[in-house]
Amino acid sequence: MDKKRVIGNLDNPGLPYEYDKREYGTVPLDSSRAPFQWVSEVAYKNAHRIVTRGYDTTELMEQGYGITDIMFINFQARIPTVAEDQMLNYILILSLEDGLSMPAAMSRMTARSKTFLTQACGASILAFGHAYGAYSAFGNMLLEALQKAESEGKGMQAAAQELVASKLGDPALGVSDLMLKDPAAKRVFARAEKLGVAGKYIAFTKEIVKAAQRESSRPVDLDLLGATGAAMMDLGFTPEATWAIIAVTRSFGAGAHYIEEVEREGHTRLGETLTPKELYDGPGDRPVPPLADRDKVAKPAKTRTPDEWKAAFEERKKLHGSGFAIVEEIHDPSKKTGIKTLGKKI
Amino acid sequence: MSREPMLSKKTSIAYKTEEKTVLRGYDLSELAEEGYSFCDALFVLFQSRIPTEAEEKMLRYEMGSFLEHSMSPSAASALAVTAGRPNLPTAVAAGVMTFGGVHGPGAAHGYMMNKYIERAHKEGKTLDEAAKILVDEYMDAGMPVMGMGQPQHSDGDPRAEPIHLKQEELGSNGAYHEFQRAVEKHFHARRKREGKSYVGVNVVGAGNAALSDLGFAPNAAWCIGSVSRAYSCATHAIFSMKKGRAWAASKSEPMVQMLDLSMIKYVGPDDREVPSQEERQEYAEAQKKSGEYKKWVI
Repeated sequence: MDKKRVIGNLDNPGLPYEYDKREYGTVPLDSSRAPFQWVSEVAYKNAHRIVTRGYDTTELMEQGYGITDIMFINFQARIPTVAEDQMLNYILILSLEDGLSMPAAMSRMTARSKTFLTQACGASILAFGHAYGAYSAFGNMLLEALQKAESEGKGMQAAAQELVASKLGDPALGVSDLMLKDPAAKRVFARAEKLGVAGKYIAFTKEIVKAAQRESSRPVDLDLLGATGAAMMDLGFTPEATWAIIAVTRSFGAGAHYIEEVEREGHTRLGETLTPKELYDGPGDRPVPPLADRDKVAKPAKTRTPDEWKAAFEERKKLHGSGFAIVEEIHDPSKKTGIKTLGKKI
Repeated sequence: MSREPMLSKKTSIAYKTEEKTVLRGYDLSELAEEGYSFCDALFVLFQSRIPTEAEEKMLRYEMGSFLEHSMSPSAASALAVTAGRPNLPTAVAAGVMTFGGVHGPGAAHGYMMNKYIERAHKEGKTLDEAAKILVDEYMDAGMPVMGMGQPQHSDGDPRAEPIHLKQEELGSNGAYHEFQRAVEKHFHARRKREGKSYVGVNVVGAGNAALSDLGFAPNAAWCIGSVSRAYSCATHAIFSMKKGRAWAASKSEPMVQMLDLSMIKYVGPDDREVPSQEERQEYAEAQKKSGEYKKWVI
């Protein structure tokens, strides 16, 4: 008897192989190319040394450099000036703690499962997205706007006005109503100027603040994202480096929250947490239909025409948790500033 | 817009109002304005105190030493995660999460030291005597002594002894430093007596002793070590994201990639036919009865 066709039309003569005669066994080692190695521009080590961007890490420490200096070396392959190092310390202190905000909450929730501290610290880093701690979105927005302005021969003021026209209210703008009473954000710029490390990103962000204040119907001002994001870029850090550095810095704070959560609250078991009915606003309680009645109650999801599809789609959007009400743009993040040359260089 | 926290609970770490963010009583912005360093702030975070200048220097040294370690499980994880091109924090988080019972087991080493120093206190022994007990108990049980040995730095971790020496130079060497030094002394002596090769102290042994003498609890010390490493994991991840190949399997690269098909070596059960559903019950019962499958269970 002929073997039953297994999956679809995979034995289509157009396929470059016969599906039913697929080979077993692994692929032999590829000797036509150089063998795999961990390729890095960042660091290497041997049995006796650890070297980052050409500098022996222990010798750096012996010379009196510290963790913030190493960040410049790791991310930018250079020793920072004293003022730059002071500015980075300033920014990291501000980034260390934020009370019971999302990174702390994620750390604490992870802690409740009786995990390692490192799991909770890692979880806190995941809190940094394109709204909370949106340093990548903010920085790339500045880069693109300045690049566009330069190509169009526009000044910073005009570029800021144009940016605000399309981005006012965006959580990644760096301007909001979050710090109207807290001077910390504005002090970042003042300190950068005092240390002589303020550059075009701080200047441009100031223009964005002014434009936003002109356009907004409610009071807005520089917020901590805009302040620390612009200052980090004036220190030479890319938007991605800034995103990572600030998220990691907060992770120290999240570690303290993990510890406090375990010390004060202990752990939570599977099934322990109740969700009161008062918090539930889904369908009312209903009997489970007998399995034999499945065909009577089940309605297939399939639609046949665009009109049917649209009607079903709109209906599905009403169900929270179905996912139909969300549209995301998921890009390859490396496309922002990526240059795929690594393999070609070897 | 609600500015209420997602979790509402008591905390003695920090609070945040519309006017300021306060860490252990200190306004964060004021701490920065006054010229304190990030390392100073970590003392405030975990210990609620401003450190001495020497203590701050020691922490700077320790964290700087630990930040970069080239290809270790943490950096390798960050690189592997970037292959799918997720958001960058995912790769950085993965790097931190590799720290466990073997890779940088800072908390475990700290708990071990505390346990034996506590024994010295209870049993009226010296730190040196307690260290010998530790070494003997661990080695008698065939367990590795935490803080000793590093698979890549086979002659001893190049970061470790300089950390010990820096502690001594800065005068921040206390009971933990003395205890760790004694552990190393007895460990080396016993291995020598047993004709075993030299195994040096690693950065957890030296670094964690230093962090403990600076007043950090085991988990706080672990946090400082493992999260410091996350900065360099981020660098490796960004390098891969910006200059490497997504998916890490391209055949058009001149070097075989990490996930090239030829990198797979299979050592599991031989290839075998999938039984039909008609054959299933008899097949499954025979398979279960033979028990051969058990050697593959993980």
